[in-house]
Parts: sequence; C-alpha cells; structure tokens
Amino acid sequence: MPIAWRGTELRLLLPLLVLVPLGFALTHVVQTGVLDPGPLGLAIAYVAAILAAHLALVLLGHRGDQLLLPLAGTIGGVGLVMLNRLPQSLTGMSIFGADIGMAGTQFAWFVVGLVAMVGIAVFFRDDGALRHYKYTWAAAGAALLAITFLFGAEVNGARLWLHFGPIGFQPGEAIKIVLVVFIAGYLAENRALLAGAHRQIGPVKIPPLPYLLPMLAIFAIVMGIVVISRDLGTALLFYGIFLTMLFVATGRRSYVLVGLLLFLAGAFVAYKLFGHVAIRVDNWINPWADPTDAGYQTVQALYAFGRGGLFGEGLGQGLPLIGGHLPIPAIQTDFIFTAIAEELGLVGAFALLALMAALVFRGLRVAILARDDFSSLLAVGLTTSIGLQTLIIVAGNAKLIPLTGITFPFVSYGGSSLLASFVVLGLLLSISHRSAVDAEHDAGRA
Amino acid sequence: MTGNIRRLAGYLILSFAIVTGGLAWWQVVDAQQLATRADNPQVIAAHRSALRGSIFDAQGHLLASTTVSDNLAHRTYTDPAFTHVIGYASLRYGTTGLERAYDDLLTGQADPNPLRGLLDDILARQPEPKDLSLTIDQRLQDFAAAQLKGVVGAVVAIDPATGAILASTSTPTFDPTAISGDPATAAEPMAQIQANPDKPLIDRVRQGVYTPGSIMKVFTAASALDAGAITPDTTFPDQPKQETSGFKLQGFTITEHDLGSIKPALWDLSPALQVSSNIFFAHVGLELGADRFLEYARRFGFCAPLAIGSNGRALPVSVSRPTRAADDGGCTPFSDQVELASAAFGQAQVNVTPMQMALVAATIANGGIVPDPYVVSAIRAHAADPSKGPSGRVLEAATPGAGQRAVSAETAQQVRSAMVDAVSGPIGRIYAGSGAVTLYGVSGVETAGKTGTAQRSGALAPHSWFIGFAPAQAGATPSIALAVIVEGGGAGSGKAAPIGGKVMAEWLKLQAAG
Repeated sequence: MPIAWRGTELRLLLPLLVLVPLGFALTHVVQTGVLDPGPLGLAIAYVAAILAAHLALVLLGHRGDQLLLPLAGTIGGVGLVMLNRLPQSLTGMSIFGADIGMAGTQFAWFVVGLVAMVGIAVFFRDDGALRHYKYTWAAAGAALLAITFLFGAEVNGARLWLHFGPIGFQPGEAIKIVLVVFIAGYLAENRALLAGAHRQIGPVKIPPLPYLLPMLAIFAIVMGIVVISRDLGTALLFYGIFLTMLFVATGRRSYVLVGLLLFLAGAFVAYKLFGHVAIRVDNWINPWADPTDAGYQTVQALYAFGRGGLFGEGLGQGLPLIGGHLPIPAIQTDFIFTAIAEELGLVGAFALLALMAALVFRGLRVAILARDDFSSLLAVGLTTSIGLQTLIIVAGNAKLIPLTGITFPFVSYGGSSLLASFVVLGLLLSISHRSAVDAEHDAGRA
Repeated sequence: MTGNIRRLAGYLILSFAIVTGGLAWWQVVDAQQLATRADNPQVIAAHRSALRGSIFDAQGHLLASTTVSDNLAHRTYTDPAFTHVIGYASLRYGTTGLERAYDDLLTGQADPNPLRGLLDDILARQPEPKDLSLTIDQRLQDFAAAQLKGVVGAVVAIDPATGAILASTSTPTFDPTAISGDPATAAEPMAQIQANPDKPLIDRVRQGVYTPGSIMKVFTAASALDAGAITPDTTFPDQPKQETSGFKLQGFTITEHDLGSIKPALWDLSPALQVSSNIFFAHVGLELGADRFLEYARRFGFCAPLAIGSNGRALPVSVSRPTRAADDGGCTPFSDQVELASAAFGQAQVNVTPMQMALVAATIANGGIVPDPYVVSAIRAHAADPSKGPSGRVLEAATPGAGQRAVSAETAQQVRSAMVDAVSGPIGRIYAGSGAVTLYGVSGVETAGKTGTAQRSGALAPHSWFIGFAPAQAGATPSIALAVIVEGGGAGSGKAAPIGGKVMAEWLKLQAAG
C-alpha cells in the first residue's frame, strides 16, 4: 500500500489546532475570571486524535475524499468545546474508577469513532458483503428493533436503549445504517423497474405489486417505531431517508409526494390515538399553553435563542443558571444546538449549519462519483441520514416542527450517535476511495 | 441518477435555508419580545434580585428594607406590629398590604411625577425604587401591640382632624421576613402561619368583621339627633317599665342586658348611653326609621368598601353593614322593625370592621366630618443606606382629604358630651370608666368613649369593644380617636376599654413629650 499524501486534508485540519484549544481557553477564562488558558489536555488530545486518524489514512494509502474528515472534525470540535463548557456533572462515565466527566467521555467516544472510521475506510473495500446479504442485514436490523422493543429501557417515554453491563447503546443508530444498506441494495437491483413500468390507477402511477411490498414494509416498520417505541424523531428520520433514496433511485417526485401524504395521514392517526404524540404536537403548536410543564423545554429553548441574538452572548457567557440549574433539560444532547446558538448567536449557528451543509454536499459528491448504483445509493442514504438528522433536530429546537429527541451528528453528547456518525464517515471514505482507485485505473488503461 | 442527486442537493440547501430562517426569527425578529415575557426565567430572576424601596415610620425609624445578595433580594421587616399594615413582598406568595398597594412605586416602575417617569422611559433609565414614610408612630404602634399581647384583637387609632392613621395593629401577628426571601425556604414558615387557628394573615383592623354591640349606639344617637328624630332630652315613657318587662315588638321581645345594681328610670340620651340601654336605643332606632338609618349609615361609610389612602394606592377595608349584604355588595333594606330596633343597639345583622368604628368615633371627634383615612405620609427618594433614616428628598407629600360631612357640628357636640358622660359620668364610670385617660397618668384631660359587648351565638364569649377619643373636654381638639376589639374578651369594660384608655393616654404623653 503506497503512502497517499493527503495535503488538502492536512491543510484543512490545521485551523483545528487553534480552534479547539482557543475555545477551551476562552470558556475557562470567562467562567473562572482568571486570565489563564486552563487545562487544555482534552483539546490537544482531540486535535491529536483527528491528526492521528489523518496520519493513519496517509500511511495506509487511503485515496478517499479529503474534505470529509476536516469538516466532521471541525463540527465535532465545536461540539466538544460546548460540552466542555457545560457543567460536567450533567452526565459522563468513569473509566477504572476515574471520573472523566462529560467532555472526557465524549472524547473517549471520539477515539472509538475515529478508529472505527479508519478501520472501515481502509479495510472495508469490498461492498459485496453489504450488497449481497442485504436481506440478512435487513433481518438483523429488524431483529435488533424487536429486541429493543422487548428488552429496551424506557427514557422520557421512548424505548430506545439497550444496556450491556455499564454501557448503554441505542440500537436505533445501528438500525439506521442497516436500513440504508438494505434500501440501497434493494433499490440498486430494482430501480429500473420501479422507475419504468407502471400500472395506472386514476392519476397515480404505481409500480408492480411485488416491488411495492418491501417499501410498504418499511412504511409499516416506521409506523411501528412510532407506535411501539414512541420514538418520533427516529421514525421521521428513517422515513425521510427512505423517501430520499427512493427519489434519487427513481427520479419520481410522485413517490415522494404519495409517501409524504401517507406519513402525514399516519401521523394524524397517531396524533388522534396516542397521547404522547398528541402532547408533542399540541406543545409544538403552543408551548406557552403549559410553559412550566409540557412546554417547558421548548419555551426555555426559545428564550435561549432569543438571548443569543445575532452575535451570541459569547462562549461561556450564556446559558444563565436559574436556581442553580441550567433551565433547558437535555442541553447536552437534544438541545446542544440551542446552547451553541445562544452563545455564538445566529452567526455561529449559521456557520455550524454551513459546515454541516458542506459535509452533506461532499457526501453527495461521493455519491455522484461512485462507480455503481449500489455505492451511489449507499452514499446518498448515508449522507442523507446525517443531513436530515441535523435538519430535524435543529427544526425541532427552533419550533419549526414538533420537537423530537434525536442527536445533532458529531456534536450531541452520546457514544452510539457519535460512533454511528463516524461509521457513516468511514463508509463514505471507503466508497470515495474505490471511486478514486477505479478512476485512476481507468485513466491508466486509457 | 446524477441529476437526481443534484436535485436532492438543491432541496437540502433549501431546507437548510428554511431552518436558518426559523432561527433568525427567534434570534433576531422575536428576540425582544422573548426577552420581556413575564415567564422568561431571566425576567423572573431580575424580579428576584430587584431592589425595593424602604418603609419608615413617622419618626423615620426603619420598618422594611431590601438587600440584594447572590442575585436574591432579601426583604427584612423590623417590627411584627406593622405586619398587617405593610404586608409582605414575597417572591413566592406575592404582595399584600402597602407592599401591594405601592408596589409600582416601591419597585420604581412608577414615579409620583409622571413627567419624570416619562423621562425615565425615554432615556431607558434604570427605575429607582421609592421609599415610603408612614403616618404611624412606631412607639404608639408597639405600645398598642403590647396591650394586645396574648389576646386576639385589634387596635386602630386615627388623628380625627386629618384621617392620618396613628396606630393600626392586629393580633396574632407574624414576621413576614421568613416568607419574603428565598422562595425555596418560604413554604415552611408560611405553612406554620396558615396552620395557626387564629388566622394571623388576617388584618383584623380592615378584614375583621364583627357584631359591634353597644358601640353602635354612638352612630344611632348621632344619626337620630341629626335627623331630628330625637333631642338630647327626648325620653320614651314606656322605657322604664320595658327595662324589666321587655319591649314587645311584632311578637318579639327585646330584653335589656343585665343592669346589675342600676335602677331603671326615665332616661334621656346621656344616662341612656351611660347605662347603655338597649330599650332606649331600640326606641331611638324606630323613631329614626329604616330609611334614614341606612342613609346615615352610608354617610358614615357603611354599605360601601372603605379604603385607607387614595389615588388608586390604598389599603382596602371590608364593607361594614347594619343589614345583610345586598347582591351588589351594598346593604339590603331592614327586613322588619325588630331588625331595625336591634340594629340600633348593635345586634341583629350589624357587622362592622374596627376601622369603620374608629371612623365613627373620629367623626364625632372631628365635628361631624368623616375624615379620609390615610397611612402613607410621604413618598421619598430611595435612601442608599436605610439604616441611617429616610432621604430628605420628598417626591410627594400626602395632603389630608377634606372628608365627608355625616352629621352637623352641633349634633357631633351633643354626642361628644354624652360620650364623655359615658366614660366619666356617675353611671358611665361603671361601664367605660376604665377607658378614661386620667387613669393612666394623664391629668386634666377628659375622654369620650363607649364600650360594646357584642353577643355571639351559642356559648361563645362576647367580643369586647371600645371606641373613643381624647382630649374630649369642652374646647379641646381631639388628637386621637380609636377602636379596640378583643375577640371573645367578654364585657367591653373588662378588656377593650382599658386598652383604649392606655393607648390614648400613651399618645397624649408622646405628644406632650414632643
């Protein structure tokens, strides 16, 4: 394996050397009032871990996209600065009896994620295992879902945790990737049929029944998630990924439209039938109807946005404690974006979203350059999972849609989410590596 | 498929733009509105840490002040005798008393000078809290509270000429400091206060509504004299016989209270008031008639809410009524002659506040004019160090109201003379003599007064009442009029009259000392 110099990646990673330690130092100065950078170990370790991942890709001759890691690393860096700035007692783990705090725990997961990313990017070069065993993957995903329903722990009314000893794990994150693999495999195989032959029923063209069934199954699974695990955010995300991939595979807006109408109809039924859905929706329509209880989180988040304003209150200077507590529950996970928008303002929030949009565009570029339909659809699905997840949680924070408890990729505290995001990144790197190698091969032959 | 992916990129960028637009709405467009909402935790926190004006007594002694530490305002009240007048400003339980009535000034949200208030708004100046000075003298207030020690009751004293409240205290009281600080620690002391069966939260001066008993005869006498229904010399021929046999009226027999050693005789106003003859005043009430009784009641302030203070900043006083409450909050007509005759000596459906009865006494003392009561003498600039006394900068000084004439000066003089006899006349000494200020170290001064023993249903001990004023000798201008009630205190002469005498004597001594 020849060494592949990744100069663009290295140059784009250089700002991180300043960004993350400066963020740590700024919050330390503001919070303690002492002109002293404070402990920077975690910041330096983070940058070092990203650079180590870069170095591993270089040494292992990786030819994949050079913007993905810098973008994800910067987004993750902003997140780590924010998690380090929040009270460390919010959550966190201890390793061998030593309490490493919230930011320390998140850093540990970054390391795990980066290792997974490099491993997948470098060693996962044959996608046959994904492509050929798509139904096996789908079955595994469904089984995981079933296990979660049966044995999962309930948090805040949603059943989405599995516990293995001390480590909690959210199967939804793994199922998300498995779902993308399955849909990509299925659509790559059947996309011509789905896009072409139709039976016309009135104004609606529908594909032949046997090809329709797997998609209806996906719809049923999504609705099952809403009903059984009460996890609205994941259901919306899964369904959005599915519709997006269907659109890309067939180019038919009518599928998306019908799919959205079906989802809205399903959501309306859920609103009428299930109390927890109704609460979410009512609370979205008017959180001030019950600002101290049901609408509390939303209302407090909106106040935080308002405090932030255009330029923000400054790192470490926002998020006032009310009665000794941060007023926004789940600030480190569901509402981390709100915290960033308060302290960095609309400008900072926009910058973070722009970085995320750039990452999404880069992922779509990987999809366009991919050499075959499966790889392309896989890249689309994986990229969409990151992009849609960001849009859903930010829109939920900002009361554009009902609030759902999902994470902001690379930013929110949480090991499962972080690991899944890096697995996505690894798969995208792997796909783009193969495209690059094949392109060179073609060029060499010509 | 490449085209589809490009289109997807377009949709995604549109979605990111919409989401950013949503953020811009909250962070820029709606930010100001969010920042000022009342349920915004920062607004609440600002309220929690807001400075509040201090309150001083007539002599400049500090009664209430606020210090801010750890972003939490701590309100300290120095004297529980003032609790019911000042009230409390609790972060948990809201405001009562003067803290409520003057909240806008104490917090600085308003300014007595509207022009300066407008200027504050225009210049976005930080509102400056205002301080209050009271008409109450802490020395008299504490003295009155000490007389009520161990009993449930109230004392309220007024300067008859101006309506300035000189003392107003209600027992049992409580220290509002504990419920005014940290909301987290306020619940327990509040629960204790609320658990007290004697209801310390009630200001008995303003909110206590009682049967008046014989002190009502002062009102009946004044009204009947002023209306021409009687003269000071009017007698009722059947009265001596009825003192023992009872006064049969519409099938009901009105009986006299136990006269003890006193032999019934044909009494006119003065002896009748000294003896406190129910039979005599039943006749007076009937002579006056139901319509005129109610008309005079309204002149004295009955049948409508009273207020201590004016200009929208006032302590509300419960309605006193000689009859049942009407649907509109006023008084119903008398249902029959028996009710009218009984009301004339303060029984049946008569229900009054100590504040109202103090005003009745003050009206007689003030030549027939009901004074407008007030308790805040001045609104002052905020004193930076309240322990050093109030600021010399008076923003607004109270001017006494003109009052409302209830009866003529001549009538008032006739009643005053009878009330002096009721305290120090040959028979009056038995019933109200202990209300005389001369008993408590003041010489050369006469007292006017009347006791009341308000019968209650069942075996409950009667309420002990006294109303009076001093100095009351001919030519003197009374400087204090008061009402005293001791709940379940028995005869008026036993509990209430001595307290009234002592408080009036104390005030005369304080005035003499300067």
